[in-house]
Amino acid sequence: MTEPAELWRAAPTELRPDEDPYARFLEEVAKVSGTSARCTSAELVEEILGQISYPPTQQIALTADLGDARPVIGRALIDAGHDVYDYERIADDRETVRHLDVTVTGCLAAVAATGSIVTGGSAGRGGALVAPTHICVVEARRVVAGLADLMRLAPRLGAGSMIALQSGPSRTADIEKTLIIGVHGPKRVHVVLLDGVVTTP
Amino acid sequence: MTHDPLTETTFAERAREQLAKPFLRTAVPRATDHAANDLRARFADHDYEGLRARGADIRSATIADLQTHLDRLVAAFAANGVQVHMAADAAQARAHIRRICRDAGARRVVKVKSMATEEIELNPALIADGLTVTETDLGEYVVQLDNDRPSHIIAPIIHKTREEVRQSLSRVAGRELPDDASELTGFARETLRDAFMDADVGISGANFGVAESGTVVLVTNEGNGRMSTSMPRVHISLMGIERVLPRLDDLAVMLPLLTGAGTGQLITTYVTMISGPRGTNEPDGPEQMHVVLLDNGRRALLGTEYQDVLHCIRCGACQNVCPVYRQVGGHAYGWVYGGPIGAVLTPLFRGQQDGGELPQASSLCGACDDICPVKIPLHDLLLRLRRQRVDEGAAPFKERLVASVWAWAWSSAWRYRIVSGVASRLMQIGWVSRVLARRGPLAGWALGRSVPMPARRPFHRRRSDD
Repeated sequence: MTEPAELWRAAPTELRPDEDPYARFLEEVAKVSGTSARCTSAELVEEILGQISYPPTQQIALTADLGDARPVIGRALIDAGHDVYDYERIADDRETVRHLDVTVTGCLAAVAATGSIVTGGSAGRGGALVAPTHICVVEARRVVAGLADLMRLAPRLGAGSMIALQSGPSRTADIEKTLIIGVHGPKRVHVVLLDGVVTTP
Repeated sequence: MTHDPLTETTFAERAREQLAKPFLRTAVPRATDHAANDLRARFADHDYEGLRARGADIRSATIADLQTHLDRLVAAFAANGVQVHMAADAAQARAHIRRICRDAGARRVVKVKSMATEEIELNPALIADGLTVTETDLGEYVVQLDNDRPSHIIAPIIHKTREEVRQSLSRVAGRELPDDASELTGFARETLRDAFMDADVGISGANFGVAESGTVVLVTNEGNGRMSTSMPRVHISLMGIERVLPRLDDLAVMLPLLTGAGTGQLITTYVTMISGPRGTNEPDGPEQMHVVLLDNGRRALLGTEYQDVLHCIRCGACQNVCPVYRQVGGHAYGWVYGGPIGAVLTPLFRGQQDGGELPQASSLCGACDDICPVKIPLHDLLLRLRRQRVDEGAAPFKERLVASVWAWAWSSAWRYRIVSGVASRLMQIGWVSRVLARRGPLAGWALGRSVPMPARRPFHRRRSDD
């Protein structure tokens, strides 16, 4: 029914053919009140450490979609004085989940035209959601142009029972249309666009 | 049904009550103009009309073959381990949801904002079963605290001032909260976080159900939709049968139409696509997922002159632009849906007897037709409902009398000349026009206007004299 090839003319949720997906992605992240950085695999750990202040000790969960980078990031955060958990080990422990300060996740995809990161139920529904700060590592190869590309890829993402698009921090304008950032989801979303793949440096 | 404004009061009574609230008449236009400006800015370099046309095509083709797509949806849900329940009406839908909660041994329920659950009046039924029900959308939470009703499809407390919200939340806090939207939101976040963590069941609506993949799509900004479908051990989604989309890539058209027309956003913060309960190797998520497919009068519209109303994606845009809604707000419509879409859905779902006067609450300006992202001919539907009301004899006697005298007098040249001549002479007499304007049939109309004087010599006579 739809002609995805030409959809970009009609929908701002697609990229124009000449647009740089990475530049547009970071631009859109900023428009939805997210922050971002762009770095190489070698700089990744340093970038994440720099986003999480110490003291005090923060409660941090890491999800499995960080792949090979997870143990490296985890070790560095522990060395910096934080308490670090693998999300799948604490997911059923409501008290620990309730008191998380930061989650660091990977993602299955990211949508350039909307500044969205896409996580899956396979790595946990709550990982990107439950803490006030969410740091998401986006490998450059995972960035797709727009919603049409994402929907085409959706069945092959390995997302499990949920495909979750998230564009910036949570928000509400229910009270007299005043925009408030940070309701039930994170108040702060930091996107790290990785030029390279997440592997041990 | 505990309290039903639709049958207990008339539109005029409800509208008068709402018009007495000056805040409403500034809040609604302010809020809704904002969305419209954002929409224009977002689509400035794009062919919005082209996107609307695609959206309208997708919706009309889907609804034209609804049963096929529903069968596919049900099969795909089943393949994903989703338990599907069919509900012919509100009572059946409530019964399904109550039974699922009972079987799960549930005590606490969290809810995601959903017009379908409003439509079936779910909360009172669950509360009567002894369940603790918490609305988790900030606006709906305040509505629940105040025992109120949402007054807009996507902005439920558009009718409330910050001070009213502060008072409601202060009652929960047991102390005076500061007059600051950010502080108030922070308090609600902390209070509702406990509700999410302790809940046994999360109940949501469904913005769309994708037949190809068996997926429920939820569109939210606050994150409560994700929390309610991630933390509790049971997820129930109540979905109107018309919300089906055939394919995943239809979402690439429908999502920007919904969020653009609804809030002026390119995309909402969260778009959550749920295709089943927690998988075997997944770290979290509900053990059970149920979808209750709600008919409640929808299927009966197929093949009728009202079928197009099933294309609706509940974005609220027609409310935002409606000159009547902008003055009287959602509560004046007396049931769940307000504005032009409410004036169409209410008589269709609740019957002409109760909802038949709502299509009169329109100037037929067509602003709703122009804004509707799926091009529903709302003002045609309003006209058809007016005609049906007359055909069914549901219009009041006085209205029918005036209309038949009018039709008689205006349908032949000589009767028109005589009647208009007599009326014109009478109106020239000062006391006659004054009585007409104050006590006669024009009294309501003349409240905010002066009654115009007919010309001494009618136009047709002046023409024939020339």
